[in-house]
Amino acid sequence: MSEPRDRAKVVEPTVFELSHPGRPGYRLPQLDVPAADLAELLGEKNLRAELPELPELSEPEVVRHFTRLAEMNFHVDRAMYPLGSCTMKYNPKINEEMAALPGFVGVHPEADAAECQGAISLIYNLGRMLAEISGMDEVSLQPPAGASGELAGMLIVRAHHAHNGNPRSKVIVPDTAHGTNPASLTLAGYRAVEVASGPDGRTDVDALSAMVDDETAAFMITNPNTLGVFEDRIAEIVDIIHGVGGLVYLDGANLNASLGIVRPGDVGFDMMHFNLHKTFSTPHGGGGPGSGPIGVKDFLADYLPYPVARRDERKARGLEFDFDYDRPKSIGKVHAAYGNFLVAVKAYAYILTLGPEGLRRVAENAVLNANYLQKKLEPLFELPFDGLCQHEFVLSASRQKEQGVTALDVAKRLLDYGLHAPTVYFPLIVKEALMIEPTETESRASLDRFVEVMTTVAEESASTPELVTGAPTETPVSRLDERRAAKDLDVTWEKS
Amino acid sequence: MPYVPNTDRDRKEMLREIGVGSVEELFADVPQDLRAKAELDVPGPLSEAELVRHMRRLASMNRTTDDVVSFLGGGVYDHTVPAVVRYVMSMPQFYTAYTPYQAEASQGTLQSIYEFQSLICRLTGLDVANASMYDGASAAAEACLMASAVTKRRKIVLARTANHALRTVASTYLEASDMEIVEVPSLGGVTDAGALDANIEGAAAVVVQHPNFFGLLEPVEAISAKCESAGAMLVASVDPLSLAVLKPPSDYGAAIAVGEGQSLGSPVAYGGPLLGFMATTRKHIRRLPGRIVGATTDTEGRRGFVMTLQTREQHIRRDKATSNICTNEGLVALGAAVHLSLLGKKGFRELAEQVTAKAHYAARALAAIPGVRKKFDGAFFREFVLELPKPAHKVKQELGGAGIWPGISCGCYYQDMNDCLLVSLTERSTRDDIDSLTSALEAVVRPGVNS
Repeated sequence: MSEPRDRAKVVEPTVFELSHPGRPGYRLPQLDVPAADLAELLGEKNLRAELPELPELSEPEVVRHFTRLAEMNFHVDRAMYPLGSCTMKYNPKINEEMAALPGFVGVHPEADAAECQGAISLIYNLGRMLAEISGMDEVSLQPPAGASGELAGMLIVRAHHAHNGNPRSKVIVPDTAHGTNPASLTLAGYRAVEVASGPDGRTDVDALSAMVDDETAAFMITNPNTLGVFEDRIAEIVDIIHGVGGLVYLDGANLNASLGIVRPGDVGFDMMHFNLHKTFSTPHGGGGPGSGPIGVKDFLADYLPYPVARRDERKARGLEFDFDYDRPKSIGKVHAAYGNFLVAVKAYAYILTLGPEGLRRVAENAVLNANYLQKKLEPLFELPFDGLCQHEFVLSASRQKEQGVTALDVAKRLLDYGLHAPTVYFPLIVKEALMIEPTETESRASLDRFVEVMTTVAEESASTPELVTGAPTETPVSRLDERRAAKDLDVTWEKS
Repeated sequence: MPYVPNTDRDRKEMLREIGVGSVEELFADVPQDLRAKAELDVPGPLSEAELVRHMRRLASMNRTTDDVVSFLGGGVYDHTVPAVVRYVMSMPQFYTAYTPYQAEASQGTLQSIYEFQSLICRLTGLDVANASMYDGASAAAEACLMASAVTKRRKIVLARTANHALRTVASTYLEASDMEIVEVPSLGGVTDAGALDANIEGAAAVVVQHPNFFGLLEPVEAISAKCESAGAMLVASVDPLSLAVLKPPSDYGAAIAVGEGQSLGSPVAYGGPLLGFMATTRKHIRRLPGRIVGATTDTEGRRGFVMTLQTREQHIRRDKATSNICTNEGLVALGAAVHLSLLGKKGFRELAEQVTAKAHYAARALAAIPGVRKKFDGAFFREFVLELPKPAHKVKQELGGAGIWPGISCGCYYQDMNDCLLVSLTERSTRDDIDSLTSALEAVVRPGVNS
């Protein structure tokens, strides 16, 4: 394999293009047992005719390649990353170190409970802390992501209703819901029914009342919702759903605004999932690993995924901490082991570092920062739902659209100024949506810098729109052709 | 509060700009009667020094694979993780980035995923792979849903020799979708051909783990032929390391290959995070769940990468999406790409050869102990089942005191296998380790000892 044909057109070659036959990258231990005769041991017919074509690079070349790739990434250690509903807060470094302790990294999931008391106690105690923070009674850390928590939640809804004789058929979601909500409830065998938002950006309670019936299994809502407003009639909503025997599910994506302020369990929610990679500061890793614990009220606890971590101070079974596998009503397992344990370690360290007051400060400052930004940006962009916001708010680039500049263009132009873009085109009910969530870990100076850049981009949209529509120009590559990617599919590197 | 930069003065000024008098007023939309009545009852705050002391104490309450001689496996394997893998995974440009929604500012993540997809294709021999999934178990579950969508059938045939985690997670996913799951029993440790024949009719997919939970090679070619004639898709759950020596799933006609990628650069980590992967033929790409990265060009004709075919996904398609999956295991997939790049073609092969050699050396030595025998005769790759003259869990207890974890007690997962032990090897198991297991096991199974 040699250099790519047109090197100038390649920003960084793929690892395959960098490969050079015979280059060693790693040394294994000297084999200290007789070598294997593969044909004899595994059977000639079972063997692969040719070795898989893995790249061959020396260690320094591997490090350089991935370092150069890293340099092409925007990341939250560099600057503000105001993706709405994603809670891109600072990831504390001590938590990374704690999750790298050999005593956590080296625990095998098949080790006897007696050998991993530290790990099980961490799982148990983090579950207790999340229960306290949310007002739920029992929490399982097993779901490895938010969407997995939603699926577990919807399966619990189903199990609960089935136990009462009828699993019911539909789950109601607002039109502002994250896409995972309808996808998860569908996977759990339900039909999604959408309820519209009213003019204030909140669930239209009358419309909701009119659509509930004894086939309503649950109502699934994010609160504060994805427009960044608190559903102030939530108690009424809860009563409506409970009135027909349905359950109320909270998508905990926006829990950051509620820490220490409101406990969903006190509001009447029956269940919720948490996103440890949002609210509890564990890194997003460029798209995982996340963690999406599911919490429920007592009457649903029997349905949680098994095994459930438990504590017995009197050690009746000989151990203080172990897992309860004897859960006949459980929905089953949603992860091969106990969920994303190392992510749990980081969230646990985060909560201990903050303590009760620190958690409340997170919510207060997240909401303060969002309101400050909203106030400053309101003159520049249309604000479809005004009033105070919670931890995030949604602007529209509709005025800029008239100047030929879309929300996507604005997003791309921000990249040129060294900032990340907001979430765009979501929620779906806002045209040209720009959804902004600064989080509590941004300083006022950082927020002011964002305002300054947004001001420049708004001015450019009016005076020199081609600068915005032609963005980005300062990134490693300029605007990428997504249509071409979907049309001339190239998802696997092949030698040309 | 170390992570919140705002000072009291900042807050005061910002509140003034907003036009409210207090932080409290910002929460005016939250009805008073719904507010938390008391401060949260959680521990903390701890300083860094206090936190470290506490966490180290917790960590010290665990015995790790470094503290003992471990032969635990069964899906999660204790391989050496090269320093370079940890180094790259700890680069903030990778670990503090979000999902690559803004492609132009995320080329590092996108290209590394493209490379991961390509590496999975090279291992499995299939055309296309996704950007990863939660774990091998959920990947298998998603493969079943995909097969059902392709074939319009609702029955899944699952080999009972597949890992318990795969079988239980798949049941969780499928039961709600009203799908029928039939488990096919085994004969001699591998899928019983006769039982498969009796159950395959009308199946959307046959899911086989190869090598299976017992370490044995499944008769995949025969199973594939049965799938072909029944119109069922073959879903092969494969150990990626085995693909350095064994035929790739494409060779025996698997329509979908899935697997647990933990052995590609991840520590055992109490089983999480893990790394699911999934590959299929080009024809089925639009049914593939999860994220997919594709190459394209920018406005100046330079190559770049984007997430593609997003109309399959939940954020666009909502209730009609191919799956509800949103997050993948991006950072872990990156680690796998680094690991495979570092080992390279020869190193990866050598690793698989070493593991095979160690497993067979261990099997010969252990099966020579009087009263102990290999449970099954079939060919095996990295692990094997021993039948002991007494319950495996007792043997585990007895050896645990001596710092040896001899393997997994099969009785946990198969009721009729209480005397069976699954012994797994990696390149980290030395000859000395194996020899000490052999003598320790010999001592505890000797007639008259503790029985």
